[in-house]
Amino acid sequence: MIDDRIFRALADPSRRAMVERLARKPHTSTELGASFALSAPAVSQHLGVLRDAGLVEVETVGRYRVYTLAPGPLLELGAWADALEAQWSARLDALETVVGRLQAKEKRSRRGTP
Amino acid sequence: MARRDVTVSRVLRADARLVWRALTERELLAEWLMPNDFVLEPGRPFTLRTDPAPGFDGVVRAEVLEVDPGRRMLWSWKGGPVDTVVEFRVEPLGDELTRVTVVQRGFRGLRAVVVSAVLQLGWWNLMRGPLPRCVARLAQAP
Repeated sequence: MIDDRIFRALADPSRRAMVERLARKPHTSTELGASFALSAPAVSQHLGVLRDAGLVEVETVGRYRVYTLAPGPLLELGAWADALEAQWSARLDALETVVGRLQAKEKRSRRGTP
Repeated sequence: MARRDVTVSRVLRADARLVWRALTERELLAEWLMPNDFVLEPGRPFTLRTDPAPGFDGVVRAEVLEVDPGRRMLWSWKGGPVDTVVEFRVEPLGDELTRVTVVQRGFRGLRAVVVSAVLQLGWWNLMRGPLPRCVARLAQAP
């Protein structure tokens, strides 16, 4: 089961937008703030939530703190959504087998009656 | 274009009548879906049972919400973190061909927001494109 912190972190549209941005390339918090017209404290707060959820990692490069996406949790989430679809797909394969058997049975009994 | 539901469809080589039977008879449902105590009666709660998983006791609590006999059926579907509506549609295509479609929608609550976001096309593309590239980039860096 996926950690609730990931769901909570991604429930916010600004944070989802940040994740989407970070998926393309690493950014400093200043760059992120400029991209989204957010104040430094707001950016810092969002990044804190994303870090707690394990969605981003931070590295100090000289004077800058560079944020990078940690893709693990997102891949897990994507796999979860894919799994829902895969489950129904497998069930419909099973349905096809059941219906095929009903159809064959009906044909046999039709042929069987004179 | 947003994708906020899970839709899976199949064309089966069988009469629509037989497909409907497989969707609405308890023993047949058990064969392809899950063991259950289903009764085809609007407003009637029933359960479907599968293996438990963390955060999920393995019991789906469902209820028949709507029935258009032979054509369409709507269930509520609550299991673990998932609180949704499942729709089954049966369309006769002639020549003993029938399209069956399952739509699971209406993910509610916090997880719902995220599932909806994840299922949105832009986000989906992110999963398929930039994200795998990001993973590849990280794999290259020591």
